[in-house]
Amino acid sequence: MRASSPERWQQVLANSAYADALRSRDSSINAFLEIDTDRRHSHGDGTSPAAAGPLAALPLAVKDNIAVRGFGLTCGSRILANHISPYDATVVARLVAAGMVPVGKTNLDEFGMGSATEHSIAGPTNNPWDADRVAGGSSGGSAAAVAAGMVPLALGTDTGGSVRQPAAFCGIYGLKPTYGTLSRYGLVAYASSLEVAGLLSRDLAILRAAYEAASGADVMDQTSVSLPDAASRPSDEVRRVAFLGGELGLDQRTAAAYRRMRDVVAATGAAVEDIELVTAEAVVPAYYTIAAAEASANLARFNGVRYGERPVFAENPEALVRQARTEGFGDEVKLRILLGTYVLRSGFQEQYYQRAQRVRTAIRRELASVFARHDLLVLPVYPTAAFRHGEAELTAFQQKLADRFTTLANLAALPALSVPGGVCDGLPVGIQAIGPAFSEARLMRFAELAAAELPPQRPPGYEIELCDEVIPGGRT
Amino acid sequence: MSYRSFVGLEIHIQLATRTKVFCGCRAAFGDEPNTNICPVCAGYPGALPALNEDAMLKSYVVARALNCRLSPVCEFERKNYFYPDLPKNYQISQFAAPLGRDGYLDLEFRRRRKRVRIRECHLEEDAGKMIHAGDQSLLDFNRAGTPLLEIVTEPDLEIGEEAEHLLQEFRRLVRYLGVCDGNMEEGSLRCDANVSVNEERAGLGTKVEIKNMNSFRFVRKALDYEIDRQQDILGRGGTIVQETRLWNENRDVSESMRVKESSNDYRYFPEPDLPPFQTDDAFLAAVESSLVELPPERTARFVSQYELQPAQASFLCDERGSADFFEAAVAAGAQPSDAAVWLMGDVQKLLNRSGTQLTGSPLTPERLAELLVLLATGRIHGKLAKQTLEAVFTDDMDPRQIIAERGWEQITDPAAIGKIVDAVLTEQHEAVAQIRSGDSRPHGYLVGQVMRATSGRADPRLVQRVLEERLALQFIQVLGFGGAISGSRREDGVVVPGSLESLIRSLRGDPALPADIRYDELDLGGFLSEEVSPRDWALLIHAIARHAATGDTSGIVIATGTDTLSYTAALLSWLFGASLPIVLTASATTGDTAESRESLRHAVQTAVSSAPGVSVVFGAERYPAVNLKFERVPGESGEGAFRTWNRHGVPEPRVGLWTSFQGSSGTQDLSGSAPDIPDAQMLAGRLEDAARRIFVTKVFPGMSAQALVALIDAGVRYFVLELYDTGTASVRETPFSLRHALEYGHRHDVTFFCTSQQEADVDFSTYVTSHDLWRGGAIPMGTLTTESVYTRLLAVLLTGVAGDGSDPDAVAHIMESG
Repeated sequence: MRASSPERWQQVLANSAYADALRSRDSSINAFLEIDTDRRHSHGDGTSPAAAGPLAALPLAVKDNIAVRGFGLTCGSRILANHISPYDATVVARLVAAGMVPVGKTNLDEFGMGSATEHSIAGPTNNPWDADRVAGGSSGGSAAAVAAGMVPLALGTDTGGSVRQPAAFCGIYGLKPTYGTLSRYGLVAYASSLEVAGLLSRDLAILRAAYEAASGADVMDQTSVSLPDAASRPSDEVRRVAFLGGELGLDQRTAAAYRRMRDVVAATGAAVEDIELVTAEAVVPAYYTIAAAEASANLARFNGVRYGERPVFAENPEALVRQARTEGFGDEVKLRILLGTYVLRSGFQEQYYQRAQRVRTAIRRELASVFARHDLLVLPVYPTAAFRHGEAELTAFQQKLADRFTTLANLAALPALSVPGGVCDGLPVGIQAIGPAFSEARLMRFAELAAAELPPQRPPGYEIELCDEVIPGGRT
Repeated sequence: MSYRSFVGLEIHIQLATRTKVFCGCRAAFGDEPNTNICPVCAGYPGALPALNEDAMLKSYVVARALNCRLSPVCEFERKNYFYPDLPKNYQISQFAAPLGRDGYLDLEFRRRRKRVRIRECHLEEDAGKMIHAGDQSLLDFNRAGTPLLEIVTEPDLEIGEEAEHLLQEFRRLVRYLGVCDGNMEEGSLRCDANVSVNEERAGLGTKVEIKNMNSFRFVRKALDYEIDRQQDILGRGGTIVQETRLWNENRDVSESMRVKESSNDYRYFPEPDLPPFQTDDAFLAAVESSLVELPPERTARFVSQYELQPAQASFLCDERGSADFFEAAVAAGAQPSDAAVWLMGDVQKLLNRSGTQLTGSPLTPERLAELLVLLATGRIHGKLAKQTLEAVFTDDMDPRQIIAERGWEQITDPAAIGKIVDAVLTEQHEAVAQIRSGDSRPHGYLVGQVMRATSGRADPRLVQRVLEERLALQFIQVLGFGGAISGSRREDGVVVPGSLESLIRSLRGDPALPADIRYDELDLGGFLSEEVSPRDWALLIHAIARHAATGDTSGIVIATGTDTLSYTAALLSWLFGASLPIVLTASATTGDTAESRESLRHAVQTAVSSAPGVSVVFGAERYPAVNLKFERVPGESGEGAFRTWNRHGVPEPRVGLWTSFQGSSGTQDLSGSAPDIPDAQMLAGRLEDAARRIFVTKVFPGMSAQALVALIDAGVRYFVLELYDTGTASVRETPFSLRHALEYGHRHDVTFFCTSQQEADVDFSTYVTSHDLWRGGAIPMGTLTTESVYTRLLAVLLTGVAGDGSDPDAVAHIMESG
């Protein structure tokens, strides 16, 4: 095995064999909802994409809840099954400006609501490590596409772990940046105050270059921020590292990988300390209360009136809306809309929504105090490695409870990076690090330290990335 | 049972920003459907709002102008409800942290000053529009995302008229600030209301919300309807249901839309896509610099700085454009009073005729100033000035150029006019001899000859002056208008009408009067003053108007009788203001007595020596023309005397309503010899018609409301009610209660103007019964007497300044702005 070089990835689109190879490889994975490698993306402002630089001509996979002009934007939902986006998300436009070429839209849980990429009109995505297992979610298609060597980089969204958990399940890097550093313009909103665009790759250099190209304030998203200048950003030193201690309820693979990671970090000379979070118990309830509340409003726009699927006939506009939503949304989405509507009722907000916001504030404070003493907080991404399709191993409710490690960073608006933590018993395990705001460079430094001992691995059968398969002389 | 009503308004204005509130689409009315939309305002998946700072600025400017507490940080929230025209199915609005709070707007309505509290101002986005066409429903999202500022008042209003007034004041305010055009028909200004009625001193009642009021008039009607409806229910012992009702403008009723139980839960929560808006020093400075002088302050300044009358100032300041125009014209050299008169009169007339606006018309402030300077310096005379104005509108040229091209320049050189006058006098030596012998009748003829010789271009006043100089004479018109002064006593002692002849003769020989006065008498009929009819007034008005137009007189003396003098004097004052000296006189004794000679002599002296204006001379006393009462006080000579009521509140109009006469005018004769005035028949017809629609009565204990109702049924539309003292009357629930008449009148567009039986200032602020009159829509007329109010009403209806009199609001507005 050898690391594929970015140079070969930069040549792959010039090769006509790439599209077929991509389709062929995806047939057993179902990572893509749509593939179109020929679409030379015209740039909205008339400028041409960068012809040189680390991202030039690199293929890009985009989760199907992020707008790419001319591509579908289904969000994995029946209600948007026929919707073509008339515009580009800002992150897409910026990566395109840096030279990247969107080649397809990837599978996801409907509107990003799920942990397995099984709630999708396109059916489930399979984990490249084991087709009987899920790729994680909701950015499962993006993670699987990268893990299976189909693209060097994919865009996902992370509302409560939707980039990090599938990255962990598939053995690659998954970055959930500081809230606001990547514009949300063009991300189909699920829970606006929690979610960010995220990046998935096996190559840290590409990940870093993509983050630099895509980040920064955007006039189209007033919650976006510009990065502080380098001097006032957190340093990339990894000297004092907190590990989440206590009873974490991990499966054997994850527990072993987590211990291993602790040893690896300690071996770098960093001071390692186990800590506990008093707010830990309240994280998942607070997350689901806020996420569902925001979702109930965010998803209200899907009514079949202006775009998307709608009934052929309805007695009146109100009936049309009712019918479009009844037929268009899946059960998980309906559940969260109902939950959100419930917690926002007048007279009950104090009991649910306001209380969740107070918990959120407490979490932010507690994490702030952690980062006053530590450079990073390291913790598992998910209590288990990739589980089997269906609810046999984890019920839908258990899957929600299992979001307890990932939702922390979303509630606190902090950056987190899921890094490969080795392969245990045939499945990769991911471990994440959370840092203070704007500490993405420190998180990547952490990833480099870990990679020295625990480099990312390729799933059996996918040892050769597509660029090496397609480019003549690429295989040595 | 006495009730109190509480009305609060929710006013929405579309802010006149170039782009929408959360995206860059054009915010425009009337474009092709769905052309001004983008992913953001059409609610496409993934689109996010970005706040338009200009909308924020305009919102804060309104809040500031409404004296609100400005929030240093304001937040947006989502208001969730499903409706097909709402793209996101939530509206971005403000709830917990609106941008402005606790303001007020000062109102004065029907002489009641009030501070209406503003609860809050908040910014939100407008929805699209849904139209149902046959079996389809069509949606236009052009309007979606237009910035909408909502202003919520406390329930400080009481009646529909007052709410309408507040809305109009508010509209004026936002138009002045340039933040909204305030067009209710196009929906850029919208209003919902909440109404509750309760027993006096019992606090707020059950609130009912009223929607779908699409004009100022509907706001008033819908609110009055709702107050009546609730009062009726309470009066019958019922209870009010909390609900939302829609005004049906076709049926003049409101209909229940939904009751409280099924109302929406909007599930407000903070908008996560927009960070809180923070005001900084630069922003607050921009707010301050966007404030302009507002209508009430500007009106007051116009009165003090330019010495305008309140009615003129409020007319000019109604629109920022006309106030700016006025000030620009003054800056360009126009006399303020001239500019005001012309803008209100001839300019407005031309604008009405062409249906255009002042701003953007060919008439610029500079052109108006040029015209008025030409007129004031005598380069052109009044009638040609009017034609020059018309030519400015039709030909879009400068007045100076028009006059030069058409040869309209007035002959103002006294030497040139002197030459022409001399030629005429030489030619007309017989007429001159006649005048010198004391018969002034040929005087008008001579003026006409001079005008003819100059094709009407001679300055008539200069002609008059040169003639007076050449003949060394002054000309006084004496009009006989009935009364004992020109009557005589029959053998049986009964007074009968007579003529002025012997009195004029006595004047001509009066050694106390200057010998150079020549008298031109006109007898308008042999009648006693109690016999005066509208037709007689029409003849009198016609005669005065003719002299005012030709300027062929030094002053007018009117000999009439004491019975109706207070009416005639006030009527002439309302009509002619200070256009020329007009002196009315009468005598307590009959015929050619020492007393009547004394009055007449004094009147002539006043006419030749005083400034233009209408006044009354009786014996040795001189009075203002308005608010006179004739009283006989026992114990004195028994002859009686005039007294002025409310002397400190007596208006002496400078500009009469006659200048604004609307309607077909007389012949257009460029020779200048025939004055441009309506004919007497037409005036008589209009006055009679007006008098038929008015009824004057005094309220008295036991007065039957049914009698007034019968009068309304018979066609009376305006009442002048003479109330007790400062404006009280019985509205108790008895068969005689005036309330029935007020309510009946209200439904029939009848207006009640209220005066007092005492020498008092009617203002309805003291007694609970007068408050009920106010609520019933009666209009307190302040210090004006019944005679003054009645004649002002006649003058308004005669001149057509409020249209044909069928719009009670327009009439009331002019009546109140006296």
